[in-house]
Amino acid sequence: MSDHTFKWQKPRGARLSQPSNRRLPGLDPGWLHEIHAGEDDQAAALAFVLASVRGETLLVARRSSRRPAPILCGEGLAMLGFAPEQLVLVDAGDELELLRAGLDAARCPGVGTVLLETRGRFAGYDLTASRRLALAAERTRARVIVLRIDTKPRPSAARTGWSVASAPSVPWEAGAPGWPAIEVELLRRRDGPAGGRWRLEWDAGRGAFREPSDETEIPGTVVALPLLRAGAADGRTIDPRAA
Amino acid sequence: MGLVAGMALADARARCPGLATLPHDPEADRRELGGLVAAMAHVTPMAAADPPDGIVLDITGCAHLLGGERELAGRAAELARYSLRHAFAGNAAAARALVRHGNGSEDIHALPVAALELEAAALIALRRAGLTRIGDLARRPMAGLAARFGEEAVVRLREILGETRAPIAPHVIPAPVRAEARFAEPIARTDDVLDVIEDLLGRLERDMAARAIGGRRFVATLCRSDGARRRLAVETGQPVRDPPTVMRLMRERIETLADPLDPGFGFDAITLAVPRAEPLAARQIALDRSEAAGESVAALIDRLGVRLGMERVRRIVPRDRHLPEKAQALVPAAGGKDNPSSRRTPGPLEVFTHALAERSRRTTAGVRRDDGGDILPRPLYLLDPPQPVSVVAGVPDGPPQRFRWRGQLHEVRLAEGPERIAAEWWRRRGGHLPGEAGPTRDYYRIEDSAGRRYWLFRSGLFEERPDPRWYLHGLFP
Repeated sequence: MSDHTFKWQKPRGARLSQPSNRRLPGLDPGWLHEIHAGEDDQAAALAFVLASVRGETLLVARRSSRRPAPILCGEGLAMLGFAPEQLVLVDAGDELELLRAGLDAARCPGVGTVLLETRGRFAGYDLTASRRLALAAERTRARVIVLRIDTKPRPSAARTGWSVASAPSVPWEAGAPGWPAIEVELLRRRDGPAGGRWRLEWDAGRGAFREPSDETEIPGTVVALPLLRAGAADGRTIDPRAA
Repeated sequence: MGLVAGMALADARARCPGLATLPHDPEADRRELGGLVAAMAHVTPMAAADPPDGIVLDITGCAHLLGGERELAGRAAELARYSLRHAFAGNAAAARALVRHGNGSEDIHALPVAALELEAAALIALRRAGLTRIGDLARRPMAGLAARFGEEAVVRLREILGETRAPIAPHVIPAPVRAEARFAEPIARTDDVLDVIEDLLGRLERDMAARAIGGRRFVATLCRSDGARRRLAVETGQPVRDPPTVMRLMRERIETLADPLDPGFGFDAITLAVPRAEPLAARQIALDRSEAAGESVAALIDRLGVRLGMERVRRIVPRDRHLPEKAQALVPAAGGKDNPSSRRTPGPLEVFTHALAERSRRTTAGVRRDDGGDILPRPLYLLDPPQPVSVVAGVPDGPPQRFRWRGQLHEVRLAEGPERIAAEWWRRRGGHLPGEAGPTRDYYRIEDSAGRRYWLFRSGLFEERPDPRWYLHGLFP
């Protein structure tokens, strides 16, 4: 097993799943978004959010006393292209404090993204509370995202509602797990038809999640651009016409 | 014993084997000297430091209070608690020359020319010209001296002779920033109290603006008419003097008090003090107000910190440690990105932060490292402490085939590893001895049949312990 060294590299010619024919709407700033995930898919949901936000971010969560809560890993964030020093973690004592802190953050100009991590039913988050958050987001052009873990969707003032889960990755050589892969479903959308499922894969070249497309699938015809750059950095040059 | 300043350490130790030595710390010297200057306030209000090791006291009109110049010098020596030399002269430069180059007499003209503290070349030139005493120079015309030995020589000479003014810059103790309001009739309503505090803040703002400082800590003391005192303290991450900002924090503080503000028969005095202040220059507002963004985030952090507690609003900072769970720490976010706790930690941290940024840049830029060893995957969530899991592994040294976590069985589909992370043996007593270092960890990145990725490790190699345990340490997206 000792020859299995880590290689954070991309497989070539891997066959990926069929692309969806619809464009993926993003988590636009100035709106309230809701993301639903199961208890085990928390990492996938957070990765989906953090991969698309930049700037000063506040993560308001409620520390549960029952089991040791997982803490965010700065290096893991950095790998998603998110600078850990831009993240402020706020521990709220109860639901009301969480909502108040989230609302204050959403009303503060200069905050790029406010993330509210909620768990379970969360009775305080009703239509009124979500409408307040949406209005605050509209005024400050902040992105307010409510991460709802382990609960059923309820009516709210959110612009979009998503469901995020982990997806099996495309393995690398020697049976290693591949790039982070997630499956997102658009549950609801205020300005258009809802529905649609996407299987997204982390694209290190662009620093974003994207749908795996067909263009890299035909082996031997096209040399992908990042590899060209890597070759140049190594001192070798690859002539695309020679390939 | 023949020890002199400037001697090599080996020579000094050879002469005096029991010599206790300390590394030179100019910063500590400077601080100590500052403390001594402050202590000299007992002798005279006009005291100035003369770095590296002197103090100049202007004792005009002070000596008679202590019974004469000799008694004053004795009192100063008592306050300093060091063995010291002193001299009296009509001006600071002459006193300084007497104390550093004199031999006890108060005759300035008898001082050697070294008292001018010129460069070595000029001193040699003076000696070659047969001028060894200050008195020799004082008798000669200044123009000729300036032409031959430089203007500096003349300036110093005139200072010592008292022909030009060489004023000292006395150490001034800054007046504390505080304001007070007393009432003829006690006030009882919380709103009135807040109004008074706002008024006091307005006064302090003018005071602080004049001194170009801002407060980091504001303490309001409410004096009740029956003698009880109530203190309200707020702290900010950045120096501020803007009344609305501080008022917002004060309101938060009153709201979050465990027991409400009890006025009793009313408050008859309110004082507001700023015990901690830092420099804060007046700032120009940009036309598009773009720089307001960073400030408002800092204000938000302060506000949340006052409401929830400073230790519950935090940032992630990297630390220079080897084990993944110790390689980062959560520090209070107040104080901004250049947090004092992260500023204190020296070199390696910055190197690490840089490495982190470099790593993220490289992974996002998609540049592949051929050695593959530099960019190691790290999970998004860390479980601290690591959660024990029961594991079925195929071969003893290999990745697990299935594991059970929180009562749920996970079938392993893909696995990668091991990434071996050694224990921090250098932090353990006797850790460098074989078998004493603590368990080595073998990390595996694992994907289960449901498509979720985990970070598992085996604590201990098979050589190290007979039955190593497995732990779940992280969750990948």
